[in-house]
Amino acid sequence: MNPRNLGKMLHLVGLLALLAFTLFPFYWMVSSSLKEQTDLLAAPPVWTFVPTLSHYAEIWQDDTVSKALLNSLIVAACTTTLAIALGAPAAYALARFDFRGKKDLWFWFISNRMISPIVLALPVYLMAQSAGLLDTHLVLILIYLSFCLPIVVWICTDQFRSIPPDLEQAARLDHANQWDIFWRIYLPLGLPGIAVSAIFSFIFSWNELLYALVLTRSDVQTAPVIATSYMSGYELPWGKIMATGTVIVLPVTVFALLVSRHMVRGLTMGATK
Amino acid sequence: MAQPASRLSHGRFTPLKFLAPSVLALLAVGIWPTIFALVTSLREYKLTRPRSGFPFVGLDNYQAVLTDATFWETLARTAGFYLTVMPVQLALGLAIALMLHRPGWGAVRSLLRVSLVVPLATTYAVVGLIGRLVFNRDFGVANQFASWLGLPGLDWLGNPHGAFAAIALMDIWQWTPFCALIFLAGLSMVPNEIEEAARLETKSHWALLRHVQLPYLLPGLTAVLILRSADILKLFDMVFTMTRGGPGAATELVSIYIQRVGFRIFDMGTASAQAILLLVLTIMLSRLFIRVFYREIER
Amino acid sequence: MKTPLKATALAALGAIAIACAVPPTPAQAQSAWAIDKAAAPLKGTKIKVMFLDRPGYRAIIKLLPEFEKQTGIKVNYEIVPYENAREKQVLNFTSKGDLTMALVDLVWIGEFAESGWIVPIDTYSKDAAITDPNLNLKGFFPLLLNAFGSWDGKVYGLPFDNYSGLMFYNRCMLKESGFDQPPQTWDELKNVYAPKLTKADKKQFAFALQSLRGETQSADSFMRFLWPWGGSLLDKDFKSNLMAPGSQTGLKFRQDLMKYMPPGVVSYDHAEAVNALAQGQVAMITEWSAFYGTLTDPKTSKLGDCLAVAPEPAGPAGRLPALGGFSLAVASQASPAQQKASWLFIQWATSEAIAKPYVEAGGVSGRMAVYDDPAIQAKYKYVKPMVESWQKGVPEYRPRFPAWASLTEIVAEFGSKMMLGEAPVDQGAKEIGTRIETVLKKEGYYDGKKKKLQ
Repeated sequence: MNPRNLGKMLHLVGLLALLAFTLFPFYWMVSSSLKEQTDLLAAPPVWTFVPTLSHYAEIWQDDTVSKALLNSLIVAACTTTLAIALGAPAAYALARFDFRGKKDLWFWFISNRMISPIVLALPVYLMAQSAGLLDTHLVLILIYLSFCLPIVVWICTDQFRSIPPDLEQAARLDHANQWDIFWRIYLPLGLPGIAVSAIFSFIFSWNELLYALVLTRSDVQTAPVIATSYMSGYELPWGKIMATGTVIVLPVTVFALLVSRHMVRGLTMGATK
Repeated sequence: MAQPASRLSHGRFTPLKFLAPSVLALLAVGIWPTIFALVTSLREYKLTRPRSGFPFVGLDNYQAVLTDATFWETLARTAGFYLTVMPVQLALGLAIALMLHRPGWGAVRSLLRVSLVVPLATTYAVVGLIGRLVFNRDFGVANQFASWLGLPGLDWLGNPHGAFAAIALMDIWQWTPFCALIFLAGLSMVPNEIEEAARLETKSHWALLRHVQLPYLLPGLTAVLILRSADILKLFDMVFTMTRGGPGAATELVSIYIQRVGFRIFDMGTASAQAILLLVLTIMLSRLFIRVFYREIER
Repeated sequence: MKTPLKATALAALGAIAIACAVPPTPAQAQSAWAIDKAAAPLKGTKIKVMFLDRPGYRAIIKLLPEFEKQTGIKVNYEIVPYENAREKQVLNFTSKGDLTMALVDLVWIGEFAESGWIVPIDTYSKDAAITDPNLNLKGFFPLLLNAFGSWDGKVYGLPFDNYSGLMFYNRCMLKESGFDQPPQTWDELKNVYAPKLTKADKKQFAFALQSLRGETQSADSFMRFLWPWGGSLLDKDFKSNLMAPGSQTGLKFRQDLMKYMPPGVVSYDHAEAVNALAQGQVAMITEWSAFYGTLTDPKTSKLGDCLAVAPEPAGPAGRLPALGGFSLAVASQASPAQQKASWLFIQWATSEAIAKPYVEAGGVSGRMAVYDDPAIQAKYKYVKPMVESWQKGVPEYRPRFPAWASLTEIVAEFGSKMMLGEAPVDQGAKEIGTRIETVLKKEGYYDGKKKKLQ
């Protein structure tokens, strides 16, 4: 086999191995959700079994799970949209403009993610309560912004910084203003970074547990809150939890599917030459 | 900081218009809680003793934290965890990014790219529970794999070292895709022509990596290091559901300790002091990473 | 002619007299009290409480519509994991939230009471308009009312979700090894039963003790091996009693017993221990009564008829099983109307009237009367040993004062380290002792500032 083909085979093997690594625990979760409790806890573990949909039936029997998924969807989508809408322009400014304190500002953005949410939970709770925003979508969206915005700013800043400035020359000659340049040149070219940061923003909002536990009561409980409410300490309904976990992962995967085509380096920068 | 070749001119207030909305948003939700935490760290703030008031105690909390042996133990343990998982996540993440970046097998690559999201998208607490299932001594699949390889089964979760390895493995599973995706975004910024030219010039992947791709990876590397550092210091849900910090104290990371102090003993003053100290640590680490790794991509 | 009529009249009068003399059954009394009349001024009030996702709560949720129909009071509940129940309630109470009732784990009652978050029931039980004449506090198991609902001589809550530690065992495994009866004492269990029941090569063990670090280690593992040997956590001066001979013997016993347990038992939580029994890997466990359902459900257990229940074994100092449970109390932050409505709910939920439907829906009532019913006794195998366990118990099985939150962390940490062999029993005990004394000193128990209540 000539080196070229060998290289290709190794590439394929590598990809498949990674696929297995990435998906195995997920596969285990899904298969566990389809096992009867006795199969789940059989020693040694069984790989073939008679599947049952009883756990799924159990979690869908009232609308708690579907409501929770909807809540998570609303919160994650709004947070992501807001984070991109606010963060992309900020990233552009940090990438292209010069002003005093730029580096510190840029660092300040990311430092918002550094402090432990455990100690912030109490003041956030008090803040939300006095604003009457407990158990609303809005409060979650606002709090989640505090850790999604930094991600967007950071990833997009680097993305924009790598776009050659000379691409703007043509636009400048047309007397385009900064906003136009941003909108028509940087945004499209920066799509891979924006896509990645959108995915992360969505995922982190989707998965966030602590604030959701503290700030929601019964109306706006998100998916992770529901998943963990089954762990009441004394009993562990494995099947139910695995089924909930599976159901929770799916919307995010769909979102990533939709967005990931923008992650490919498809838009060539040579186009404007 | 090198100036870009072509100096962009702009009005004095233009940056403000681009930046203001995001800065204001962050200030609104971020500033007061942080100040609250700072002030609380200077008081004795026991939530479940409302009758004793919340007196101002100056730096007492900080002193208590810095002389608390458990705090240093958990910090050391967390550092050990960090040094265990970070290298693996970086190396593996880079390998994944490179494999995804390399042309060929488009369908498989797309599939892998989407499936990278799956570990990240799994609720952290559920990851911990999957870990509990997988690493169980009797009905866990990890020991089944071991037996297929001819190795004896390990009591993962009942054994201090086993439990530590188990949480490390789950963390690696969940966060390597994060590193991979950021590296991939970086790789996608390498201009096509340069990369193609380089590929024609040399067969060595290593040379390609080092000379062409590396500059585009460094910002991503810095971001990953900083974000993961902050995240590992905050890592809670996954470890808690898997081991509760046990057996003994084998997997008690610093965030589990803070949660105990802050939400079980409800000693908010001490917990806030711990969090502020960790914040300072994270900031110092981040500045270090930036100084060492970060190079702005200027052309 | 006159005689039969007179006789009939006399008989009729007699019958009426007898009917009036016989106390009305609880159901009749309920309608006699007319909960709906008592609730009339409170119609439309909304009350709020936190529930756990456990059988007892699911049972009351099933019966809720009846209460809401009768009274017009709306009951809102929020289901939270046990791990977060205390923290959410604390946050709610410290910031004047919306909870009108408190779900009080017995170890939280000191804290909740001393912080002024819950109202003693005598505030409302004096008011006949909203108090059920059949409230019958004496109808509760005294141990439960005392341990779950009372603090410093006052009753704050009524026992709602009640547990006892019980021994669940695999009757068939015992029979195979030649035992017709379960062990009566811990010594018997370790010295006679365990060696025969442990076959390490077949991966079969005599006993599994859930010992995961956390409340499981403190309550289920550590405390269980103090009391039956005459030991305790604290002595009467609230100093550590772990170096006393009783405590030391008990803890050493636990270490000794470990050789008959599956390795890795230090990472076992309730789910793992129960499962070990259900899958036939261990012969005996001592767990909370609530797991009866899991162990009898064919979907989760392979035991079938082999499952048997007995009270926990006794130690030299007697049979002192694990005690746990929750009471419902009125929250002081609620408005007066909400407090009254909450009081009505709490009485109803723990009343003798609904005790039988409650048990049949899956709950565990704290009322003595319901367990006298032969039908209940026959249907639920756990009733007899549980009732026996509740005859004599120690309310301070775990100290219920506010400092327990700190103490349980210390006990859990070193208790599990002891089991791992990272600290010898006496050293570990001394370490725990020093630390808990530091905490208690800060709380003010040693300088007479604070009443020594546990």
